[in-house]
Amino acid sequence: MTEIVERQTEQTRKSFIGQRRTRVEDERLVRGLGRFVDDVDPPRLVHMALVRCPYPRARIVSIDASAARALPGVLEVLLPEDVLERTDPITILRPIPDAPAIMPRALADGEALYEGQPVVSVCAVSRYIAEDAAGLIEVEYEPQPFVVDVLKAIEDDAPILHEHMGTNVVVTNPRGDGDPERGFEESDVVVEDTFSINRVSGLPMETRAILADWTPGVKTLHVRASTQAPHLFRRQLAQSLRLPEADIRVTCDDVGGAFGLKLGIFAEDLLACVHSMDLGRPVKWVEDRMEFFRGATQARESVHQAKLGVSSDGLIVSYTNRYYVDAGAHNSPMGSPMLSSLMFQGPYKFPNGYVERNVVLTNKVPVGAYRGYGQPEGSFVREVLLDRAARKIEMDRLEIRRKNFIRPDDMPWQTIGGAKYDSGDYRACLDMAAETIGYEDVLLRQAEARADGRYVGVGFGCYVEMTGYPGSKFLGKHNAQYGAHEGVVVRANRSGGVDVYTGVPPIGQSTETAFGQVAATVIGLDPGNVRVFAGDTHGTPVNTGSFASRTLIAGSGAIERAGREVREKALRVAAHMLDVPVETLELEDSVITSTQGPRITFEEVALNAFYAHRMPEGELPGLEATAYYDPISNAFAYGTAAAIVEVDPESGEFTLERFLFVHDCGTQVNPLLVEGQLHGGIAQALGAALFEEIVYDQESGQLVNGSMIDYFMPTAADLPRIELGHTEVASPVTPFGVRGIGESGTIPPGAAVANALADALSPFGVDINRLPLTAEYVWRLLAAKQAAR
Amino acid sequence: MKPAPFVYERAGSVEEALAMLQRYEGDARLLAGGQSLVPLLNMRLLMPSAVIDVNDVPGLDEIREEGDEVAIGALTRYSRIEWSPTLVSRLPLLTETVRYVGDRQVRTRGTLGGSLAHADPTGEMPLAAIALGATVVVQSQAGRRAVPAEEFFLGPYYTVLEPEEMVVEVRFPVRRTVSAIAEHARRHGDFAVISVAAVGEPNGDGGWKSVRVALGGVADTPILAVEASALLSGTSLEPDVVARAGEMALAAADPPTDVRASADYRRHLIPIYVRRTLELLQTRRSEGAR
Repeated sequence: MTEIVERQTEQTRKSFIGQRRTRVEDERLVRGLGRFVDDVDPPRLVHMALVRCPYPRARIVSIDASAARALPGVLEVLLPEDVLERTDPITILRPIPDAPAIMPRALADGEALYEGQPVVSVCAVSRYIAEDAAGLIEVEYEPQPFVVDVLKAIEDDAPILHEHMGTNVVVTNPRGDGDPERGFEESDVVVEDTFSINRVSGLPMETRAILADWTPGVKTLHVRASTQAPHLFRRQLAQSLRLPEADIRVTCDDVGGAFGLKLGIFAEDLLACVHSMDLGRPVKWVEDRMEFFRGATQARESVHQAKLGVSSDGLIVSYTNRYYVDAGAHNSPMGSPMLSSLMFQGPYKFPNGYVERNVVLTNKVPVGAYRGYGQPEGSFVREVLLDRAARKIEMDRLEIRRKNFIRPDDMPWQTIGGAKYDSGDYRACLDMAAETIGYEDVLLRQAEARADGRYVGVGFGCYVEMTGYPGSKFLGKHNAQYGAHEGVVVRANRSGGVDVYTGVPPIGQSTETAFGQVAATVIGLDPGNVRVFAGDTHGTPVNTGSFASRTLIAGSGAIERAGREVREKALRVAAHMLDVPVETLELEDSVITSTQGPRITFEEVALNAFYAHRMPEGELPGLEATAYYDPISNAFAYGTAAAIVEVDPESGEFTLERFLFVHDCGTQVNPLLVEGQLHGGIAQALGAALFEEIVYDQESGQLVNGSMIDYFMPTAADLPRIELGHTEVASPVTPFGVRGIGESGTIPPGAAVANALADALSPFGVDINRLPLTAEYVWRLLAAKQAAR
Repeated sequence: MKPAPFVYERAGSVEEALAMLQRYEGDARLLAGGQSLVPLLNMRLLMPSAVIDVNDVPGLDEIREEGDEVAIGALTRYSRIEWSPTLVSRLPLLTETVRYVGDRQVRTRGTLGGSLAHADPTGEMPLAAIALGATVVVQSQAGRRAVPAEEFFLGPYYTVLEPEEMVVEVRFPVRRTVSAIAEHARRHGDFAVISVAAVGEPNGDGGWKSVRVALGGVADTPILAVEASALLSGTSLEPDVVARAGEMALAAADPPTDVRASADYRRHLIPIYVRRTLELLQTRRSEGAR
């Protein structure tokens, strides 16, 4: 049985949920009036710059900072020995199950393990001088044997990154059901391949940034951070700096994108704080793009050995995926991603399955969370193999999916990976996608084009996405250093509105707008009367933050509860003021009206509640509530992406003619925000599928393309028009029936394009098994086929 | 990404800029649009003693028709080239080529002279200058000299410019030509993986004379495919001739392997892009345009 969330009686008052409302955030953001870390320049500000290891791995023999210290304007140079004793290793927020924690330090401890690891930190009166000083520091390195390839790192003779572990394999997490090997024997057709997923970056417009300001007299370290989780940030800072939390205040204004990589603290955060505490001055560090590619967590890179067996009538009999995640040199607070395993089954049911995650260390930038958290990788592999199997048994690719979908009446569905799907009609999204893209017509066009020597293809990718967490208890079992809940304070103000205080920072997901719509609906105000204050640890309840597509699920639950309390108290106070029974009152559009006639504004009631001049007997002053909501289960979003491509088999070049995305995120609080989330996610997915790849040179171990010049992030000019469609099956397990939407866009596009390419080139019989899908890669596939002939 | 310390100088005239270049003895860099120089400074790949800003120098951003030539000042922005009525009618290859350069922000600041002096092997302006048979006019305190574009580039980011010299003007011959360009890039406005520009004069009999085919991104500098150009001149660009020209262009190239593409792939693309460019040339002629 799925637990069903408690539902209030059908709301008869005005609801703003479902309204397409423009974003509250936009007025400041589109006018350039947002406030990011770098917009804040307090008096006496100083700047930090770092010396970073230029080798993939090197022992630090000696450091001479005398010239840097002598440079006018330099205030402090921190060597490893200066900070390692004063700071503790950075804690891991989401430890890898059954794995040792390999915790990063503020500076390299004797040996640097990847190009870009901080070795020395400098503070100076300007960033210019700080960088000049960094350039004057002489570090003698002794390069060490390294490994930058995930499969080479598991070989017996590979250099071991962390000697005490004796291996580069941090952990092997298996999970399975049935008898997969027997399943393959019983299958009529088995397809298998090794898939390489590219290392990419979340690439927020605002890089990592911190402004640390220690005020000795009041013993307060005020940190302005660009983070997804200010309360977790505060906790981690307190742990690593050995300070009581009371000494630390974290505020987070606008965040210029985060995408998972701004979870938890980094070495640079600790260093900026140490400098500030030493100097008693505010210290700013805003990462530049060169540093970003050498320090901010990267993502996705993995090798998947996957195998799929089907019966001749198209039923999936067995599916296995043993994969190796390239985790980089050590753990990051949220790395490495877990959902390639948990969600490996996707929208299909099959009796035999096995998934095995191997987390492997290499001498590269550590991997962290990135929008999708393993789901884009796992979906790509599964959907590409499924198309291959369909071609082998000559079954239509829609048909094979329809045959294997978990159906609405199968729900709730316990997956082999360990997820419990709440509800959903997966076929509805596929059917809508096929109909919208004109599947039958495309096939006709394809045949005509081929007769004409042109190669057109259509492809689909289906997904189910885990959104939110199934409760804090679940996270406790996984030893996570946070809960699944959100808390808010809803407090009336004396101008007729309410203030909502949340620890969820504005990272671009429009919580101010969405939370405002929810609060206004619950209380009976206009959204214009709700002001959301976000991201300040002084004044917001201790919470979790914005990640895991959980903000609206957990946040709206907390707002619903706190808002209801405020509303009910307002009605009680109003009843007293109007001298009517409370049951006769209704609050709508900021006015409380009695069926007996009298009316009073919410503003008057709030003012009286704060004056407390005329309160009911026993009613305390004030009009506010603090509430928490802990989710009872995950909600699972789902959908289908579809793509049409035309390929030039001579050059390998192809064009993405159409791209379509049909999805279900349950109740849409604001369709405009949903579409924005999808556009962004899809852009990142197509970037990773077609353009982006962080490349390390196998010979030298060096990062090859560590700048925006050579990292091919697509611009609007490179992306197709995105067509969207949706169904709306309310989740039975979340407040308002919402499912998360923040990450969906990243999941199926790569598979849809890969399948479209394979379809276009099916006369050549090419098999796609990596990302990104570049023209050169397509040419190589075709050239290999021709050479084989 | 902050530059190392340098002296900022602002020149009010060519003479002043040249005097400054002389004074810094090769350790100064000229700042025009800054689209190549500023990133190099910020990444500390260049650490000159001085940066000489020539943006205030008058008269360096003119587009003049002079007889059978068009002279374009070194400080002329890409965006001026893009929208110049003179160039649209007289040198349409330039206006067409500019659209492959960076993005609108880059084109608003970047300059023709800066592009040539920077000498990126994938640069579109160097490619067009070679295809069109342009002459680069450079000046120092010792005087002026004119260098054919084909001889101007010596290697990646390396030209015949002496430290005390600056590009002041580029002169393009104007003839009754048809031109075309085709480019393969990893993304819109990115550096070319390969680019091919072709210019030819239609004969009365349907054939072509004085065909010039230039390639970018496939050698240390943009190159004129000399043999291919000679082969094509006097033909009607028949498919077999075009195919042979593609092979000749391939033989003249020595493409690099880099993060954008392998040398193998660039080699594979050369005949394809030569063919496409020449087909475009034919199409344009038959359309009577350009």
